Amino acid sequence: MSTKVLGGDERLFKKDYKAFFKEWMILFLFIALFIICSIALPKFRTTNNIMNIFRQASFISIIALGEFFVILIGHMDMSITSIIGMTSIFFAGMVVNAGIPMFWAIVIVFALSIFVGIVNGVLTIYGNMPSFIGTLTVMNIIKGIYFIYSRGLPISGLPDAFNFFGAGYVGFVPFPVILLLIVAIILYVFTQHTELGRSFYAVGGNRVASKLSGINTNFIGILAFVICAVLSCIGALGLTSKTLSGNVSIGENLLFDVMTIVVLGGTSLTGGRGKVFGVIIGALFLQVISNVMVLLSINSYWQWVVKGLILIVVVLIDANSKHD
Amino acid sequence: MVVEAKAVNVETLVEVKNCTMVFPGVKALDNVDFTLLAGECHGLVGENGAGKSTLSKCIIGDNRMTEGELYIQGNKIHIPSFNVRKSQEMGIAIVHQEFQLMGDLNGLENIFIGRYTKRGPLIDWKELQKEGEALLEYLQCDVDLKVKVKHLRTAEKQIIQLAKAMLDNPKVIIFDELTSVLQEDGIENIFRIIRLLKEKGIGIIYISHRLDEIFECCDRYTVLCDGKWINSGYVKDIDKPELIKMIIGRELKNVYPPKNEEFGETLLEVKNLTAHDGSFRDVSLSVRAGEVVGISGLLGAGKTELIHAIYGNYKTTSGDVFVRGKQVEIKSPQHAIKLGLGVIPDERRLLGLNMLFNIQDNTTLPSMFMFKKWKIFQNHRAEEKAAFDINDKLKLRYVSLSQLISKLSGGNQQKVVIAKWMLRNCDLFLLDEPTRGIDIGAKFEIYSLINELAKAGKGIVLVSPELEEIIGLSNKVYVMYEGKVMDTVEGDDINQEVIIQDLLGVKEA
Repeated sequence: MSTKVLGGDERLFKKDYKAFFKEWMILFLFIALFIICSIALPKFRTTNNIMNIFRQASFISIIALGEFFVILIGHMDMSITSIIGMTSIFFAGMVVNAGIPMFWAIVIVFALSIFVGIVNGVLTIYGNMPSFIGTLTVMNIIKGIYFIYSRGLPISGLPDAFNFFGAGYVGFVPFPVILLLIVAIILYVFTQHTELGRSFYAVGGNRVASKLSGINTNFIGILAFVICAVLSCIGALGLTSKTLSGNVSIGENLLFDVMTIVVLGGTSLTGGRGKVFGVIIGALFLQVISNVMVLLSINSYWQWVVKGLILIVVVLIDANSKHD
Repeated sequence: MVVEAKAVNVETLVEVKNCTMVFPGVKALDNVDFTLLAGECHGLVGENGAGKSTLSKCIIGDNRMTEGELYIQGNKIHIPSFNVRKSQEMGIAIVHQEFQLMGDLNGLENIFIGRYTKRGPLIDWKELQKEGEALLEYLQCDVDLKVKVKHLRTAEKQIIQLAKAMLDNPKVIIFDELTSVLQEDGIENIFRIIRLLKEKGIGIIYISHRLDEIFECCDRYTVLCDGKWINSGYVKDIDKPELIKMIIGRELKNVYPPKNEEFGETLLEVKNLTAHDGSFRDVSLSVRAGEVVGISGLLGAGKTELIHAIYGNYKTTSGDVFVRGKQVEIKSPQHAIKLGLGVIPDERRLLGLNMLFNIQDNTTLPSMFMFKKWKIFQNHRAEEKAAFDINDKLKLRYVSLSQLISKLSGGNQQKVVIAKWMLRNCDLFLLDEPTRGIDIGAKFEIYSLINELAKAGKGIVLVSPELEEIIGLSNKVYVMYEGKVMDTVEGDDINQEVIIQDLLGVKEA
């Protein structure tokens, strides 16, 4: 018994339907896009192609889910491209050049990422630095460090076994897709069904009110940056595994896609609103667009134009629907 | 008599006939009549949602009435083409309670923004300064126009707003709950200005929740209830109970329930607490279980800062705090909550609630840990039941627990803020202006809620700018003046004269 109708204001019910549609608009759009592409393009609807789309969308989804947490609390993490580059180059460096066992190399890159996340968080939360500037600075510092280390050259020669992580199959399902599914389910349960997870929404919605309600807002803030860094690290390992080489430029163009995905997934740029599965749908949406453009052999530079236009439209919708 | 004599040969400034305003699904105004004469102050009263602001928006052209006629100074207005700009040209101005000022600009710029006097391409500051001073002289107020607006006192900001409205030489000024953020002295000043404007033949529509003000400064009144016109007449012909009856549609006896007189142990004791920035100094107070402790003071007396300091959200440099006799150093709101404190802040929307959350999530926010499945997952069913029970107890009016909190009225939102601390089982409630911007019916519900909490053995600290509220509810009143506790008044000594003297810092030697 949770509904209690008093006065029967019909507007409220109508608005709830509208809100539901608006909340899942991206899902409906994605389904529509998928159906149209399937009908119009025979090459698109092959099992192989569709699995490809899922596989290609999986690591970027994981990275976007990290950024999702930062945006959810109303901040922004620009340093993810550097965390990705750093992970890739140092991991490969440790394994190939220094002969450190892969397990320990993974532990170390995770520790490094967590450290970067904490630095981002401390600068933003305790240092009151606008997150845009704080993380942009961190991005450049890290970038400088791994360019000094690698002189910008890729480090190849990772063991073949590592290839499974980014390119392996379990049955006919690509391993990255399974990994994404596991990460998504954990994060879904975390955000919707745990106290800590719900606190991110509370802090994003109203930081001061959350603090006065007893939420440790500083901890939540730093945790968001740490989660972002850790998920970027996982994504980076996946991308590295595909080519079996550490590469400084591996994350270079990802930031824009990640931002587009997070916003496309219905996350509010001012914080407090968004869903884990929305982000994944956002990633698939973007991947389908790229995929179709490749199938139609359109010059890949056009992808930038199209994605840019998509981001403009989505942000315009987000910015102008705040008021109800 | 004077008023009636005026009414015979005085110009009608605004006339609204049979006004109906329909929003999708809701009739906000239903066949309302209203007239405003030159030189009168006309009080527009009613509960929240009664249609006061809708009516004033119809008059300034922000809303277009669905049916009905509007006359301004005898001219019939063509409604479909009426808008705010046209109403301004016809001499109608509105002053809001919320500041529509730019904090980093000074008073002069705020008044003249967008309509600077220029000499060639350059702004003629000298001329503007002269014009600004002339405006203030007209209002007989003294505000430094060269100071950034954010550094001005609330009352002074209101004057700047008023001066800005005067720029167009209006014939009609709407005061929209202007005084709800003001303290006694600021309100007096507004009354003085209203009298001044009336003498110059300007008509004033006065919207306020504080009925005493209607009696003090208005000539006539119009009561709206649920969008319907209830009554209009001369203020001198009615008294307060009658007016209240018209507003809420029923009689209200015992506005303030009888005070609880049974006290338990001392829950909170504060000794010589001083804020890091000196906003309050050397404050000592104590609260027993079952006791309502009022804190009264003008704006800037340090009341809100004190509340936040007790709650661990404002830095202090010295002083001791004891909770149930045990000395504690409350470092954060989290810590305060663990000790059984809960705060109901003055800015409901900014500090009290998460406007993106629904009713249920707002209610359970501080007590989520109480509803766990296998110690990690949230048991949403149990949360829902608890939120339902507590809000039912508070007679919250809502459609569904998953309704966004922003869709509730102010009074109902405030109930949710109180509900969340009741659910958390707090022992000590720190209430900072709990009835700000809430209509009369809801106010009384909050009063009886405070009373019930006290009866249940909770300790209550009540901060309010409304003396009547403090007097009607508190067992003990601390009066603060510029950061210091000037006096403590208890029991039968609690009355208006004593407190006002302390408020103004006039203490008998």
